[in-house]
Amino acid sequence: MGLDKLLVISAALFCCGLYAILTRRNAVAVLMGVELILNAANINFVAFSFYVSRVIGGQIFAVFVIVLAAAEAAVALAIFLRMYATTGTVEVDAADHLKG
Amino acid sequence: MHLGNFASLTLFLPEMAVTATILLLILVHVAGKNRQSAAPALLSLAGVGAALLLVALQPASPGRSLFEGMVALDGFAIFFKALTALATIVVIFMSMESRELAGRSQTEYYIFLLSVLLGMFLLAASTDIVMLYLSLELVSIPSYLLAGYLKGKESSTEAAMKYVVYGATASGVMIYGFSFLYGLTGTTHMAEIGRVLAAGKAPLPVYLAAVMVTVGFGFKIAAVPFHMWSPDVYEGAPTPITAFLSVGPKAAGFAVLVRFFYTVFASPDAVAGMWKLHPSIDWTLLFGVLSAVTMSVGNLIAINQKNVKRLLAYSSIAHAGYMLMGFVLLTPVGLKAILFYLVVYLFMNLGAFYVVILVANGTGGEDIANYSGLGIRSPFAAVSLAVFLFALTGIPPFSGFIGKVYLFAEVINRGVYWLAVIAALNSVVSLYYYARIVKVMFLEDPQETTELPVQAFPRAVISLLAIPTLLLGIYWEPVARVAANSVRLLAF
Amino acid sequence: MLNFVSSIDFSNPYFSVLILLVIALAMSVGFVFLSQALGPKRYDRVKYSVYECGVDPFTTASVRISVKFYLIALLFILFDLEAAFLYPWAVLFRQLGWFGFIEMAIFILILLAGLVYAWKKGALDWQ
Repeated sequence: MGLDKLLVISAALFCCGLYAILTRRNAVAVLMGVELILNAANINFVAFSFYVSRVIGGQIFAVFVIVLAAAEAAVALAIFLRMYATTGTVEVDAADHLKG
Repeated sequence: MHLGNFASLTLFLPEMAVTATILLLILVHVAGKNRQSAAPALLSLAGVGAALLLVALQPASPGRSLFEGMVALDGFAIFFKALTALATIVVIFMSMESRELAGRSQTEYYIFLLSVLLGMFLLAASTDIVMLYLSLELVSIPSYLLAGYLKGKESSTEAAMKYVVYGATASGVMIYGFSFLYGLTGTTHMAEIGRVLAAGKAPLPVYLAAVMVTVGFGFKIAAVPFHMWSPDVYEGAPTPITAFLSVGPKAAGFAVLVRFFYTVFASPDAVAGMWKLHPSIDWTLLFGVLSAVTMSVGNLIAINQKNVKRLLAYSSIAHAGYMLMGFVLLTPVGLKAILFYLVVYLFMNLGAFYVVILVANGTGGEDIANYSGLGIRSPFAAVSLAVFLFALTGIPPFSGFIGKVYLFAEVINRGVYWLAVIAALNSVVSLYYYARIVKVMFLEDPQETTELPVQAFPRAVISLLAIPTLLLGIYWEPVARVAANSVRLLAF
Repeated sequence: MLNFVSSIDFSNPYFSVLILLVIALAMSVGFVFLSQALGPKRYDRVKYSVYECGVDPFTTASVRISVKFYLIALLFILFDLEAAFLYPWAVLFRQLGWFGFIEMAIFILILLAGLVYAWKKGALDWQ
């Protein structure tokens, strides 16, 4: 499994995640896109950690990214829950009261 | 070279003080019965005060690298730690005053606030991209929650939602850029990345990584085109949090921007001036354009605003643009100008937001129309707000003028005249919308002629913020010297 | 493309698993598509209506889901990640000695404070 194939996979994941963030209307789907991007970075880190440098720094970074992605998702979902409780919808288009 | 884990602990006291305060706050909240007591506020004040004291006692002179190269203790980090701790103390005062937050459980609020402070401490000092990412998220995630703290107010939840989506995306893109940097150099320590990159390899991935990392940092300082979250979040969040976000994370964002680009992308003899990063791209032009666009967008959109908080949000976008002027050429003089401007900006902005809180408490609104006749209803509030707004414009003899002079001087000295012209035009434009509020306050009749009471404690705090705003316009030498001494980044 | 095909290692013991995977995937996806393409498509209003034991449906299908599910899932994720951090420490337990132990104890204590907070706030009550 060459390094370039792994980089292509992570680039594809990054693009999928970016597409999800930019086009999906449901806020939870946008969050899924964010998770995809973070996982693309994780693949990069672990791949580089194996092929480029035998220092374990990349894998440590990957563990931290996993933990932080989970924490961020938890907070984001709490905010979306609050949004659902007040407005009854979780669509990003519905957040249009603050304008200008 | 790098201090080990145990030996670094004695130099890590401010952060430990803040952590201990957070844990104590959790215990107090769990054990306490009275939801309305002032205990959390006082406890967090004590904690941040202790941290500020410990920061002042930290030795700046030999820069040290702590925790095996994760965190640096140099003049730069100490400056930003002191700045953010001071901002947090003022924001705690503002939170005690604000009526928006009055009926709610306060302890979680202070827990989040202190967590952001801890993140800012670590962000200003981090020298490893793992630590950078961790502290950046520690600054961002509690501030998402703080922005959405007013659960009943719909605009607050909407602000939090926009903030979280933008912030998560920006940090995801930034992390992807970091992964490229790690892959190109094989190390996560910023100075070593800089050394390997200086040998000059593979320009295209380095540019890509630099652009992606700029996305993440640009989001934090609300530079255009990553500024879209800022007006909505500033308007929807509780006003003390708006004040905090406009000063604290912005300062920490500038700290990390400077430290990252200085360490990774500029070679050590950038002291002589100019970026040494890959001369085939004109970095001066790139960041100059970023700065000019940020200033212009901030100022031009602020003209139309009717809500004071939104107006101040756009004005702080513009101020980030001014500060980016000092960043255009990575020289120590330019960086000193940024640091000096951050100090005066702290006083001006926090003062302005404090008056906004007082007026919101008294009139119940945050539109410019609520400020009509404030000169009659409460001369103290009106005069102090006028002082802060004129200082934000950059009119002599206020301190904002001196800050702008430093930024302009550096840009003109290095010959980037077009940027200075744009900045001057922008300052003139900003005079319009700041002066409009002053005009409404003094020259329009008030809707009700009852007096707007201002208690003694807010008077004291606002005076303490207004005095440096006036004084630093006349005698600014000590602060400028401190700023110049603090541009001492660890050159590992 | 040809390079990729020529680089397939036929003697790999997992190659047969790959063939199994491909065939299983092809069959399952293929059958669904086949039935959709070849089957009769006659729209009947009764056939496409919601089934509720033969009577007309009382209410809409969406059910008010309690927020307790989210809280439990959230707490699980956070403490699962704490356990994930405990694994590397456990592997190198002896090498890290007393210093690592105390450090890990502080980490667990901080998360314990969070657990106590969640407990007192009632996140662990019923369900």
